[in-house]
Amino acid sequence: MTTLLQAPDRADRAAAPQTPAAGHVQVRGLGHTYDAAGRVTRALDGIELDIAPGRFVVIVGTSGCGKSSLLMMMTGLVSPSEGSITCGGMPMMAPDPDRVGVVFQEASLYPWLTAQQNVEFPLSLRKLPKAERAARARERLALVGLQGFEDRYPHELSGGMKQRVSIARGLVQDPPVLMLDEPFAALDEQTRITMGDELLRIWERTGKTVIFVTHSLTEAAYLADEIIVMSARPGRIVDRIEVDLPRPRTYAMMSTPRFAALRERIWGHIRNQAGE
Amino acid sequence: MAPQARFRLEPATVRRLLGLAVLLLWEVLPRAGLIPALFLPPLTETLGALVHHAGEYAHHLLFSLYAIGIAMGVACGIGIGAGLLVGSVAPLRQSVQPVASGLYAVPLVILYPLFTAWFGIGPQSKIVFASLYGLLPCFLGTMAGVQTIDRHYITVARSLRASRLQLLTRVLLPAAIPTVLSAFRIGGALVIVGIVVAEMLTSTEGIGYLITRNRTLLNSPRVFAGILLVVALVIGFDALVRLLERRTRHWRFSTRSADAVA
Amino acid sequence: MSAAPPIPSHAGRRARGLLPWALVLAVLCVAWQGALVTGLMAPELLPPLGEVVTTAVELLTRPSVMAHAGTTLAEVAVAFVIAVPLGLLLGIAIAESRYWSAVLKPVIFLVFSIPKTIFLPMFILAFGINFAQKVGFGVFSTIFIVLISAFSALDSVKAEHLRVARIYGATPRQVAWRVYLPSMAPVLLEAVRLAMMFNLTGILLAEMYAARSGLGQLVSNWGENFMLRELLAGILIISTAAILFNEAVRWLETRCEHWRA
Repeated sequence: MTTLLQAPDRADRAAAPQTPAAGHVQVRGLGHTYDAAGRVTRALDGIELDIAPGRFVVIVGTSGCGKSSLLMMMTGLVSPSEGSITCGGMPMMAPDPDRVGVVFQEASLYPWLTAQQNVEFPLSLRKLPKAERAARARERLALVGLQGFEDRYPHELSGGMKQRVSIARGLVQDPPVLMLDEPFAALDEQTRITMGDELLRIWERTGKTVIFVTHSLTEAAYLADEIIVMSARPGRIVDRIEVDLPRPRTYAMMSTPRFAALRERIWGHIRNQAGE
Repeated sequence: MAPQARFRLEPATVRRLLGLAVLLLWEVLPRAGLIPALFLPPLTETLGALVHHAGEYAHHLLFSLYAIGIAMGVACGIGIGAGLLVGSVAPLRQSVQPVASGLYAVPLVILYPLFTAWFGIGPQSKIVFASLYGLLPCFLGTMAGVQTIDRHYITVARSLRASRLQLLTRVLLPAAIPTVLSAFRIGGALVIVGIVVAEMLTSTEGIGYLITRNRTLLNSPRVFAGILLVVALVIGFDALVRLLERRTRHWRFSTRSADAVA
Repeated sequence: MSAAPPIPSHAGRRARGLLPWALVLAVLCVAWQGALVTGLMAPELLPPLGEVVTTAVELLTRPSVMAHAGTTLAEVAVAFVIAVPLGLLLGIAIAESRYWSAVLKPVIFLVFSIPKTIFLPMFILAFGINFAQKVGFGVFSTIFIVLISAFSALDSVKAEHLRVARIYGATPRQVAWRVYLPSMAPVLLEAVRLAMMFNLTGILLAEMYAARSGLGQLVSNWGENFMLRELLAGILIISTAAILFNEAVRWLETRCEHWRA
């Protein structure tokens, strides 16, 4: 099935720059109900998203609001009970690394592979020639600032560096969309901010559509073009906030009244749920 | 998957049914002549042998229990004591642990003939053998247990200016107890069987001796009865220590969910 | 971030690993000879170490001893070749089914907690005293530890790692070879090591209890006839072989695990 749905092959894409529509993600009428030990739970309800190519969208909400489940559905790993998801105009029925790269929380790197081999992993599954694999992985590692660390094993890297490797792996097949599931949740505050800046830099250089899930208000306001705020049980979209802070974003912006107002608006929604 | 699961029996029920089936087959198969009664005497006959010769079994069991008691004291006393000591001194532990677990590979049964040569075929050789048999698991388990103690407990105790003795008795020991108990459980079972096996090899008294004598007489029901008795002893011991383990686990996790996991 | 600092070497650690073993050997030698010099042990009960070592070397070239060793090795090998794959397959099959895990795991853990040596007389009654009985008992002694190792091997496969493979479109075969196998490798090697320990103990005991040949029978005979020089030499040989095998597999384990360091 995936072969039918695959985006134009690499040679085409190398010749012509990505068509803007490739990075267009749409979610229509998505809802999800699951049945665990006889208890039926409505996890997601009435989700509508229309994400234009090249946008940086952050989905934020409390734990248990279904934001990670929603992302897993957008990657094609999990299928929703109702509604449709398209990426580049074609439905996401199964994972498709040519269209969507995914970055998970820490510990998703294979501990028995070096940084280079981890980045090569998606390519090696497709039996690409060794030389091309290595060249592409090296290039991606350089993009995320890890030149010289190719032969390190994950345990020899810091938390931030591991996530750089994950991002490089997500980008190695040059997909138009990158989805990240709380990628910096396990990092300390300083590393988080640095990694946020890194991600913004990579995003600006590659022009990918980025969909980023987090529970951190600051991270959401700092990174996003648009913030999607979700409520819990069932997971619904309660607000869409257009972030009008200028780019490039700087650390100093965090102390401006505009930034505070943004955080206040998100917090308002989240506090309301906690009160219920 | 989900709707199908609803029609299935509870795992515990299936387990009971399986147990029942085993007991039933134990009775039916030899009675029907599908398995010669020499290989597998019917359950009722085995239990009958136990009841008929209750006095004899009790006598030999007591004899074995005496040896088991001493050996358990030695194995677990030395094993746990040394484990606590070595486990709490990091440099010592790092050099002892690999060697101790390496020595664990030695099949200790081959030492038994040496012990009979040295100590005769009385209880002494069995006690020495079974003590050694249970010692290493106790030692290794305790050492590993001490190692897993949360460093924060020690830091907190230090910040409260606890003395070394207080640190040992009030922090290290209580924190290590669940793992020490599971080491004791494994070591203790080995001690019990160590004594019985040693008796099976050479002796003139004890439950193991009884099993071997009946085996040479090809009296299957009485062999099985003896084995059943020892298995019951091991399971009883295991259950008892497990109970203690469960009790003490609350100290560590303070929630009941730890039980659900175990 | 630009310049990568050098990776620390592991050579020093290996040298430090041998030191404790040397110490144990030294203590053994001193205690052995000390017991003789102080008269704690009579030379009839504890022949001098040198004599025992010479005997050990001589035993290794004695054809009759080698024939016994051959019997034992054959029994050990056959039992091992049956028990390990069988246990792994069964264990994986059980662990992969949530339902059968719930039913059978408690039973397997219960049986595992009973030392298997106690069941030896049953095997003699059922099989008689022969090769099949030894192998059968070896398999029985070994299979439960293999089952339990298989459970923990599957537990060591992380959901995250499987998810990554699926995201990048790995086929089931690729998942098996490139995620399951490397994840499980250290635990599987440990299983091999533990299986060999249980197996060897089981078979030696079976030979000591009732047999016409095999190292266990030989050792037991030497004991009964007070041939302590041969007995101690035999113990020395068997222990050394067991330790060497164990350490060899452990070395492989650490090689496999170098990424964890």
